[in-house]
Amino acid sequence: MAAVRPGVPQPADTAQFRVSMEMTKVDIKNYLEKIYNVPVVAVRTRIQHGAHNRRNHKNQRVKKPDYKVAYVQLGQGQTFQFPNLFPEKEQTPEARSFDDFKNKYLEEEAQRQRGDPRRGGVPDWFGL
Amino acid sequence: MAASRGWRLIRHGRCWLSQAEFSGAPGPPDSLYPPIVASATAKSKAAKRRRLEHFHQRVHEAASIEEKLRLYGLLQRPKYMVYPQTFAINADRWYQSFTKTVFVPGLPPRAAPEAARAPEPAAAAPEAAAGAAARVPGAAAPEAAAGAAARVPGAAAPEAAAEAAPDLDLGELRSLACDALLQESFYQNKKRPFLYRDQDHTPGPFLTQLISSLAALLCGRNPLLAASSLDLNPEVNYYWHHGEEVVVHGHRKGRVDPVRFQIDDHPHLQIRVPKQLPEVVPLESDLGDVPVIDHKPSKLPLFKKQYENKVFIGSKVADPCCYGHTQFHLIPDKLKRQRFLEANLEDQIEVTYRANGIASLFAWTAAQAMYQGFWNEADVTRPFVSQAVVTDGKYFALFCYQLNTLALTVETIQNNPRKNICWGTDSEPLYDVVEDGDVKGFNDEILLQLVQFLLNRPKEL
Repeated sequence: MAAVRPGVPQPADTAQFRVSMEMTKVDIKNYLEKIYNVPVVAVRTRIQHGAHNRRNHKNQRVKKPDYKVAYVQLGQGQTFQFPNLFPEKEQTPEARSFDDFKNKYLEEEAQRQRGDPRRGGVPDWFGL
Repeated sequence: MAASRGWRLIRHGRCWLSQAEFSGAPGPPDSLYPPIVASATAKSKAAKRRRLEHFHQRVHEAASIEEKLRLYGLLQRPKYMVYPQTFAINADRWYQSFTKTVFVPGLPPRAAPEAARAPEPAAAAPEAAAGAAARVPGAAAPEAAAGAAARVPGAAAPEAAAEAAPDLDLGELRSLACDALLQESFYQNKKRPFLYRDQDHTPGPFLTQLISSLAALLCGRNPLLAASSLDLNPEVNYYWHHGEEVVVHGHRKGRVDPVRFQIDDHPHLQIRVPKQLPEVVPLESDLGDVPVIDHKPSKLPLFKKQYENKVFIGSKVADPCCYGHTQFHLIPDKLKRQRFLEANLEDQIEVTYRANGIASLFAWTAAQAMYQGFWNEADVTRPFVSQAVVTDGKYFALFCYQLNTLALTVETIQNNPRKNICWGTDSEPLYDVVEDGDVKGFNDEILLQLVQFLLNRPKEL
């Protein structure tokens, strides 16, 4: 069971999951209610057929696996919006001089040469 | 020979595209040349618009209503099947957005003439009181506010209803209802109902018996009921377009199509009358907002199928009883109260009643309007009013619907400020329990509201 971002926009109270092929609607409802305490009002499932027309380097047809998709409607007025997992990082626009860049690079290089501090100065190639 | 046969096949399927049909009006008499218009067969927007206008013109000029309905539903494409009795969550908001309906809780307010019919304590009545007093007393009707020059305050309305009650002999009505109930559930020796057939076992026959005997009793007070037609398990269908979508897959992929809907409803009982019910509020009134849902209808969930586009009120066009009065719907076993309570979905109980009322009444009133020749390019010039009672045998919910507009397609909805209005109550129990040949906790108000629904009639009668 994995929550996924819907390909087409879903209503606010609907969450989309990819579940194992053997799970049923009742299983999904019980799973969410008992393990995660999520109030579930309705579950609808469908099986997505994996495409079977890709070819590998030997020109054999390779199938993408089938998977089951579940659309879960939440109760008690709850809504779910799939979060943005990769937000854009802001670049701090402070002016940097060439010396700053050089010092920063030398520091990072020295850090790489020093090795793991937990080994207490013992080289990496030494193992018992 | 094969070529001519193929040509005949193409002509038969798409014959309305032939150039001969498009040779329309000749140019002005002083011009030697035909008018310059867009092509009729090109793959261009102008040609598509011309074909659409030609189709609209054909429907406008149809010789009879049957021909108009036949042309309206000629082209079959996959459409959403809207079921009035549905288990879908929050279906009433979706149905309101499909039909451009405003939902107003409670029944429409009683107008001034009805309160004026009560004895002197009522406020100063307009001259309609003189005409109203000549009518049968106690016939309370939710009539138009159009004549309400002297607006009676709301406090007078319950007094009027209470004073109308003695004229109606509530005892007789109560005994009639209790008799029907006891006959079906206590006196008659019935076997156990088959699985999921509980509603056909007791509440169905009780409702039929109650309504037919009530209607027969009230015929004397309401001449419209005397001329009405009571249908048992009729069929009501309506087909309409609302909104636009892009075709997702298939040979028509990428084209912009209207979203098509079809309602196929089977009310338990239906009363059709030869004269239309009066309007409740003026045509252009705005009593609220229509919920806007910008998701595809398939998320409700709603499914598509392609079949006959039918528009039907319960009888054919030639029937004199072509207007609707009241529908009675029975909630099926799959949507019983107990099932919702077990699944912790108490708020969805009212949603099922509301969705049933809105969808069924929209289909019925819109089909009545189409029977009078209106359609989405020729919008209604007078509002169509109908009533409905949705029940599961014990709990009754009453609805009143006013259809103000049929123009729901993308082009016609843009400059259309009118909205359809649905008034509805929550479901209330008619009785508490039936045991030992006795009906306990009988609720007179529901019976009174039912009777007032049946007594509703136009102002002239």
